[in-house]
Amino acid sequence: MEQVELDEILDGVRRFVRQEVVPLEEQIDEADEIPAGIIEQAKEMGLYGFAIPEEYGGLGLSMYEEAQLVFELGWTTPSFRSLFGTNNGIAGHTLLEGGTEDQKRTYLPRLASGEWVASFGLTEPDAGSDPATMTTKAVRDGDDWLINGTKRYITNSPVADVVMVFARTSPEKPPAEGVSVFMVPTDSPGLSVGPKDKKMGQAGAWSADVILEDVRVPNSSMIGEQEGAGYVTAMRSLAHGRVHIAALCVGMAQRLVEESVQFALERRAGDTLIADFQLIQALLADSKTDTMAARALVLDVARKFDDRSDVKMGPATAKYFASEAVGRVADRAVQIHGGAGYMRGVAAERFYRDARLFRIYEGTSQIQQLVIARQLIKTARNTGGR
Amino acid sequence: MDLSLTPELREFREEVRTWFAEHLVGEFAAIRGEGFSWDDSFWDTRIAWDKELAADGWLCIGWPKAYGGRDASIDEQLIFQLEYARANAPYRGSVQGQDLLGPTLLHFGSEEIKQRFLPKIIAVEEHWGQGFSEPGAGSDLAGLRTKAVLEGDEWVIDGQKVWTSAGAHADWLYVLCRTDPEAPRHRGISMLLVPADQPGVDIRPIRNILGGAEFCEVFFSGARTASSMVVGDVNNGWAVAMGALGTERGTTMLAENLRVAGEVNQMIAEAQASGGAKRAVMRADLARAWSDAKVMEWNALRLMTAIKGVGGDPTAQASLGKVFASEAHKRMGEIAMRAEGPRSELVGNGYELDRLQQVFMSSRAESIFGGTTQIQYNVIAERMLGMPREPRRA
Repeated sequence: MEQVELDEILDGVRRFVRQEVVPLEEQIDEADEIPAGIIEQAKEMGLYGFAIPEEYGGLGLSMYEEAQLVFELGWTTPSFRSLFGTNNGIAGHTLLEGGTEDQKRTYLPRLASGEWVASFGLTEPDAGSDPATMTTKAVRDGDDWLINGTKRYITNSPVADVVMVFARTSPEKPPAEGVSVFMVPTDSPGLSVGPKDKKMGQAGAWSADVILEDVRVPNSSMIGEQEGAGYVTAMRSLAHGRVHIAALCVGMAQRLVEESVQFALERRAGDTLIADFQLIQALLADSKTDTMAARALVLDVARKFDDRSDVKMGPATAKYFASEAVGRVADRAVQIHGGAGYMRGVAAERFYRDARLFRIYEGTSQIQQLVIARQLIKTARNTGGR
Repeated sequence: MDLSLTPELREFREEVRTWFAEHLVGEFAAIRGEGFSWDDSFWDTRIAWDKELAADGWLCIGWPKAYGGRDASIDEQLIFQLEYARANAPYRGSVQGQDLLGPTLLHFGSEEIKQRFLPKIIAVEEHWGQGFSEPGAGSDLAGLRTKAVLEGDEWVIDGQKVWTSAGAHADWLYVLCRTDPEAPRHRGISMLLVPADQPGVDIRPIRNILGGAEFCEVFFSGARTASSMVVGDVNNGWAVAMGALGTERGTTMLAENLRVAGEVNQMIAEAQASGGAKRAVMRADLARAWSDAKVMEWNALRLMTAIKGVGGDPTAQASLGKVFASEAHKRMGEIAMRAEGPRSELVGNGYELDRLQQVFMSSRAESIFGGTTQIQYNVIAERMLGMPREPRRA
């Protein structure tokens, strides 16, 4: 995409986020719901398909371009991004990375326009960021598959039209070969969505269990129509998602630095603005440094993701560092706000609760550490050491 | 601190242990470990527990017998707290009066005030709320603006206080007021005792990060109290509020720090149940949490020793202990969330939190209240390290 074209999109999103969404943040947090008008405008702006290629109806942003867009989205409540996060991210990319040409042509435009909302059904009650212990099973029955299992914390499932369900199709094989992924319409008989999860933060972003009891789907709903390709597809989708979440964390960190500086310039202790205290300045400096380091890392990783020179370790480092960094930045923001930072109705308090989830979903920090270290060790072993 | 016990102290410990075994039963045993200074859950049962303790003279045991205490020695108070933690009894409900105001009244109150209030505190018949912080005066408490003016034989109070713990339960408030607007900031302040149930006092809950409303803000508009309801001398309230660092501060800190060990045990159990304990990184974190809890306990014991007059400046020791405890407790909250795994993000329909989630959320306030970590660093730098005072503010 031409830079001038991208700048236009970034400007539009920045204005929309700051003028339309930010004033509604408290309302969204209290009501646990994003107003319908915001959802409609997000669809019109193309936000449901910014990461989907143009030939399939999206804006076709590269990872590097997407990262810059997501910095803007991160400025406000993460529940806003979550509306269309699965279409662009893990669910849309499952189709994009693993689908047949026919599947992509048929379904991606519906995701890109927001006509459909898609969810990503990987996590299970006893299988979180690591799919090795997945128990959901799909069994062949003539031309169809019968799926049974429970998926947990499935983002957007209460409003989803389709769920990308990962299931074991060859339970005797290791997950890397024995898992397939199916696009399952949520109105399929036997599929039910549990009550919305009540979360510590990120109110307005909905997740719930998805329960599958003898859900019958045709073989054509298997993504890629290729048995056993699910694990590789999941890993690829997650790699994209990790850079995306890292960019979101940077956006929130930028907002928190702004909130912290503004507060420090308004609040007096005695006759002194707290911004004039060196210990407050130290907190601000650490937060700005964390934010810029995370931002630079995300952009660097995104470039290498685009030229395919690093699609695994880089995304893991970015997600790990940026999500931990925004946690530290939120912690300092609360400290700078003092007692006010502990009270409902103050942005720093809300973001502190919101930020905790970034270290958990789409691969916990601990999983990212393993991904990073295993890559290092594998590479060293393959090159035979010194 | 020397923890080897004399035969008398061993006998005392046995008495305490037996009492807990016999009395921490039924509805009290059902809420073992529940509640905290910022958490008013199970309030009614906890107040009943306070009364159970009071009935046999186990509240405020360090107070003089004349006001209902036991004249217990520091060693006895220490043993009592260790046993209290061992029994994992519910956190006492009416701590504001027992641990904070009561000792202040003992030091500074007139005989009339002591006679009037201490027996009601120790009998758990009156609850207290603190009116210190204001929207514009938190860590910089001396900047407070709530004013009290003497009209005849009554003080008339106008202003606003904030972060009043358990304010909704308070019968009385102890309030720092500016009584001489002309005097230098620290000199024109008095501590007044004000009845909460009157038209000029409006107590409103504030929702905090936990979703609950244990803190309140209190509005005074022409509130009244008798002219004799001043603790210490008029315009000497700053010294009263800062107080001599009493034994009670040490036992309170010890009680709170000992509770933390219980939280770490819960994290360990959680990590074992979820399978997280199989991972080396989780085990390392739990080992760190456990070590931090031990350091917190030892810091509290050091403070007790300092209060006995054999180990340095208690104020500095209290600061050091607070900085360590509040930062360590935040780290523990983080580990607690990881021990629970992803379900740590889920709350009840009314934003109910489990114990470990509460630790994560509530610990965030600990480096802010009671003097922020940054304020404690100043105290340590100036009092312990002999650094120059912070430059005079403009």
